[in-house]
Amino acid sequence: MDIFYSEKGLTFENFIKYPKISIEENSFTFITGKSGCGKSSYLKMLNFTALPSDGKIYFCGKDLTELSPIDYRRQVMLAPQQVFLTEGNIRDNFDFYYGMREKEPLSNVEIAEALKVCCADFPLTADCSLLSGGERQRVFLSIFVSCMPKVLLLDEPTAALDEKTSNELFTSLKKYCREHSITVVCVCHNLELAEKYGDSIIRLGE
Amino acid sequence: MKDIVELQIWQFALIYLLLILVIIIMKKCRINQTKLLIMASVKMTVQLVLSGFILTYIFEHPHPLFVVAYLVIMLSFSIHRVISTNKGLNRKFKIVIGASMTFSGLFVLVFFICAVVGENIFNPQYVIPISGMIIGNTMTGVSLGVKTFRESLEGQKAKINALLCFGAKPEKILFPFVKQSLETAMLPTINSMIGMGIVSLPGMMTGQILSGTLPTTAILYQIAIMIAICTVVTAASFGSLYFGYKTLYNHKTQII
Repeated sequence: MDIFYSEKGLTFENFIKYPKISIEENSFTFITGKSGCGKSSYLKMLNFTALPSDGKIYFCGKDLTELSPIDYRRQVMLAPQQVFLTEGNIRDNFDFYYGMREKEPLSNVEIAEALKVCCADFPLTADCSLLSGGERQRVFLSIFVSCMPKVLLLDEPTAALDEKTSNELFTSLKKYCREHSITVVCVCHNLELAEKYGDSIIRLGE
Repeated sequence: MKDIVELQIWQFALIYLLLILVIIIMKKCRINQTKLLIMASVKMTVQLVLSGFILTYIFEHPHPLFVVAYLVIMLSFSIHRVISTNKGLNRKFKIVIGASMTFSGLFVLVFFICAVVGENIFNPQYVIPISGMIIGNTMTGVSLGVKTFRESLEGQKAKINALLCFGAKPEKILFPFVKQSLETAMLPTINSMIGMGIVSLPGMMTGQILSGTLPTTAILYQIAIMIAICTVVTAASFGSLYFGYKTLYNHKTQII
């Protein structure tokens, strides 16, 4: 069954036009294409943080704009490309994000599990400002993964990672999301990775 | 107590000689702002002379309409200043700022004149100088608060975006910025209260003492005006920011 569906003619800012797109539930789907072809904008529209200027997106058969944005966004989460971590250690960051959603803080075991899924096996007391760019990106990602959304939208999650770590991350993430029935839509400019890990690939701007 | 010494024009003109000292220092340090200094001095002189004549006229022919007109001009000018120093605000935000400054300013003014001093709200001798202090300080406070708010939003785009995508409510994301900016707007007034009477004898009190008011009366006025200023700065900044930040997102909770 399609979890996302949009007809040809979906438009962003009266400028970027999309082909017909359907994304299957529980799949690991990649979106590729040149920069400026509207990959990130498409994820934002799926996340309901941006609205199409023309056309509609259907989520499980329902018009997305008729759903409650906050409830929807908590099921369909977007981990943006630009990482944001607050001051303090990893535990503080999980608590900060969970507090912002008025959620109970996670236990140490739960945090450690989420970190492991994202290949970020660091102690919870590690100061985030001392981590490298790639390490921060994985910690950031693990916060989103730990929420166990229905859909996880990832914008260039491997931008700051080397090839080996990228492979490890996708292997682990794909396994985890399959086990927990999480649909993943991932924007990635690396076609090789997309072909290796994607159940399907959407090529934009062609 | 003796009444104040009337300034003779030729005596008064001596004060401008001090500006020569300022110009010498500027030349010595190669600060090329002599033009600005002269322009500022001329502007100040002309504006104050004009307002001196206008006030003299209003005091001799007191009429509610003059007071109202004076208040309207003062308020519009201060609102215009706040909005023009904070470019890029949306239309609703500007309206919120204008309304907050007007309501808080008028409320504190009426309370001060009618309840505390016990004078008629249309008595220009009280209303004009006191509203000047109240509205002037409102302008500085709100301007500082809105500027801080705008700049911190600008500098924290990654944070706001990440939290929004994470599913946090816009009000939950933006409120910490409101709190921080309100604090920034309030602090200068509160700090100036701390040093008052020790480091500085404030302007209003000095003026009253010079014109022959007993220092004990002058301090009562000074304390009252400080509390009024503190209140109006807090209320106007709170109103502007608290109702203003809600104009930054729409009903679909996109932050704009």
